Amino acid sequence: MPNREQHRRAGAAAAATHGRAKDRQSGFGAGERGHGPLGGRHPRPDAAAKVAGSARYVADLALPGMLHAAVAVARVASARVRSVDLEAARAASDVEAVLGAADVVGENSIGVVFPDQQLLVTDRVRMVGDRLALVAARTPEAAWAAAALVGADVEELPGVHDPVAAVAADAPAVHEGGNLLRTFLVRRGAVRPAARRAAVVVEAEYRVGGQEHAYLEPQGCLAIPEGRERVVIVASCQCPFYIQQGVARVLGLPLAAVRVEQAPTGGGFGGKEDYPTELAACAALLAWHTSRPVRLIYPRELDMQASSKRHAVIVRHRWGADRDGHLLFAEVESFYDAGAYAGLSTVVAERGNVSAIGPYSVPSIDVRTHVVYTNNLFGGAFRGFGAPQVTFAAEATMDALASRLGLDPIEFRRRNVLDEHRRTTCTGQRLRPPVLARECLERAAAAAGWTKRRGAVTVDGHWRQGIGVALVQYGCNLHHGGQRLDRSSAVVILQPDGSVIVRVGLTEMGQGNLVACQTIAAQALGVDPSVVQVWQPDTTTVADSGPTVASRGAHMSGLAILDAVWRLRRRLDPVAAELLACASAEVELRGGFASVRGKPRRRVSVAQVAAEMAARRIEPISNGFTRSSIRRFDPSTGRGAPYEFYAMACHIARVAVDAELGLVRLEEVTAAHDVGRIIHRDALEGQIQGGVVQGMGWAISERLALESGRLLNPSFTDYVIPTAADVPHVTAIIIEGETAAGPYGAKGVGEPSLIPTAAAVRNAVCHALGVEINELPLTPPVLVAALGQRHPLAWVLAGSDPGAGTPETSAALTPAQR
Amino acid sequence: MAERVRITLTLNGRQRTFEVPPGRRLLDLLRDDAGLIGTKEGCGAGECGACMVLLDGEPVTSCLVLAASCDGATVVTVEGLGGAPGALHPFQRALLAAGGVQCGFCTPGIAVTGSSIVDRNERDPAEQARLLAGNLCRCTGYTKVLEALAAAQEAGHAEP
Repeated sequence: MPNREQHRRAGAAAAATHGRAKDRQSGFGAGERGHGPLGGRHPRPDAAAKVAGSARYVADLALPGMLHAAVAVARVASARVRSVDLEAARAASDVEAVLGAADVVGENSIGVVFPDQQLLVTDRVRMVGDRLALVAARTPEAAWAAAALVGADVEELPGVHDPVAAVAADAPAVHEGGNLLRTFLVRRGAVRPAARRAAVVVEAEYRVGGQEHAYLEPQGCLAIPEGRERVVIVASCQCPFYIQQGVARVLGLPLAAVRVEQAPTGGGFGGKEDYPTELAACAALLAWHTSRPVRLIYPRELDMQASSKRHAVIVRHRWGADRDGHLLFAEVESFYDAGAYAGLSTVVAERGNVSAIGPYSVPSIDVRTHVVYTNNLFGGAFRGFGAPQVTFAAEATMDALASRLGLDPIEFRRRNVLDEHRRTTCTGQRLRPPVLARECLERAAAAAGWTKRRGAVTVDGHWRQGIGVALVQYGCNLHHGGQRLDRSSAVVILQPDGSVIVRVGLTEMGQGNLVACQTIAAQALGVDPSVVQVWQPDTTTVADSGPTVASRGAHMSGLAILDAVWRLRRRLDPVAAELLACASAEVELRGGFASVRGKPRRRVSVAQVAAEMAARRIEPISNGFTRSSIRRFDPSTGRGAPYEFYAMACHIARVAVDAELGLVRLEEVTAAHDVGRIIHRDALEGQIQGGVVQGMGWAISERLALESGRLLNPSFTDYVIPTAADVPHVTAIIIEGETAAGPYGAKGVGEPSLIPTAAAVRNAVCHALGVEINELPLTPPVLVAALGQRHPLAWVLAGSDPGAGTPETSAALTPAQR
Repeated sequence: MAERVRITLTLNGRQRTFEVPPGRRLLDLLRDDAGLIGTKEGCGAGECGACMVLLDGEPVTSCLVLAASCDGATVVTVEGLGGAPGALHPFQRALLAAGGVQCGFCTPGIAVTGSSIVDRNERDPAEQARLLAGNLCRCTGYTKVLEALAAAQEAGHAEP
């Protein structure tokens, strides 16, 4: 048996069954591939109930006496509240309770990072969707009807809706203390002298739109009071421990008195990281006052109107390269529109800050990342967490530089991308090999037929073909600033019949954490995955494991499971050894059996060992724990190691663009991913395919139409996400590389699968049209405007005079010319 | 206006009678009166397809159908696609085999629509995708769902 550290860090339980020193060192060896479920396609444990319709989501849970909650929200973005009138709502039929801010028992405060948000507003509305009152009624219809009767006497105030305008001295203040919430920096080298040496310089401003998560299951939770001393919350959520903390604060209860169970969760994508805490606090408060179970399910319109969004970001660039195509310097200034409340915005921008350069080697760097309050909907976590916006900008600038240098975009990236020899990131972190960004680039380019397709734009009527590339380097942990939360807990219980219960603190929301945990536990115990049951998280069964975000679910759960298995085996192996008449150190677990190393026929089933342990009353329960390694990082310079390890990816998009109508059809995405190690192949492919399509929606069709802070398109008719008829062919190239980072070497793929897609699509569209477009999404009006005089019907669009119009003012101009 | 309307329908193969207010949605009848929670509400506006059921053999969004209009109709929900309790339609089995289930909230609606595509023997992949376009999914990117459709179609062809 290897030591605990080897086991924890490298998934060495399986390696131990081989007993080869080399295997133990690397965590896994060639021989290990031969057995166990790792990297396979066994059925997901949650799929059968879901496909049969018997999985119970929170809206499917009802209790006797249960009440239905509704929320009365502000419909203006900025106002002073004079009074809130609850009487009409209280008088409505079937209503049991109507609560205002005065009814909050604990602190009237919500907010994961900053306490800048009230659960129920008292004197000031800062965004559409701010809560004025809560209703509990006997039916959902009665509750929402009563909520509509809540009257608010408000005085509208001027709002601010643009993050650059918001930092001006005379901008309306969203909060006391000014609208600039935080600025993050990365400073390395000296930009000014580098700029003097540059042969080409590109300056550009990118306007990157936000995005709605559009999980199919709306936000929802159920609060069950146990007297006034305890409460149980069942919620659709990514982070039960956030809910536990938020509800404890609002009810004034100790953490131990708040039990949060995660219900099967119908998609999250970041939208169920912090927002479910707000719903849970509302339901819990109503449950506390009525002494009855209260269920709150958001209607879709409110869900889209009031919940967090991907941040809209304005990114300004000045990047330069020498004549040979080597990057010399990069200046980046970004403005993240936080909206009315901080939420997770600072943490999101913190990641965006160190992701602004991409996987490229740049000697001189000056990145400034501002987080700014406005009266818009509040920005939050969304798959990629601040990185997709700056990746869009970085990859657009890379193409612009390549074009100025007369270099092919792949060739230009080849000269700058991180690899085995050039592995210092923009923050000065020297990466542990293997560094597979170049490998991703080359493999994707070869598979996509880049050279042939980039050579000439094929034109078929109005349709023009284009191809574009983008890369990402993504840290698979919480950023240094949040590393105190970067730990994870697991419990493994061996049942007397040899079946295994696994509890972890990280959640399943569709991404595949249950099957990943099942696979890892089965691999480590040498049993079939069907023997292992992973149950949904519950805050009373494991210690706070932090949020299920940052592509950390599988590896942080997995390392905790491996730790638990290692501890269990200190008790299991001696029992097996006795049954096998060998030494404990000779016991290996494989294929459902404990056997003597090197003598596979001398074996007993794991079930037999479990029964023997039960008969002897040997402790069958085991706790596991893990934390990411401590890193050094200096926030004042942005230098150091913000993350423990990174996943690299390269997407190549092939598009057809209707130059007349401005329509984009995404034909194919070739997605090369450095995943470390495959845990479960179907789950991995599903993440890549789903990430690409969600990224495609952001790139092409998903536009948040905001007017004075109000979302004008809060429906799936007006906010258009991709359908089955829109999907491209996704060619996934999965690159495994030996690294001891996660369990069996696994990294994370949930977010890298989305991040480069939009940038690659943009670069492909620009290739097809021969223009540079510096905004997202690429809707038809944006494309038509970008084409300007090159539009086939420009003379019609310009009015009566075919020769009119000034090409100089069109967006077809290169950034450097502006 | 009558307080309640008495309707009889064939629900997953069994004749059932309900008394419903005239404004009650078929979706609510299924979930709250019949206890068939497999049918999900994702938008309440006929946009997402999570509430898809077969009404006289055609996939419809049950959030836009009034229960009172279903007197005499045949309704099949995700729970009834396999024809017997616990049984699965070949398309549901294909979804499992293809790994086409992730968060699962859209899955019942996709199972309903997909089963009807298989049953009507639609074999053109582009037409299959078009018919499935009324069912939104945010996790899978649809690839494995479409693979499951093709596989179920193949399997159905192999064992007529």
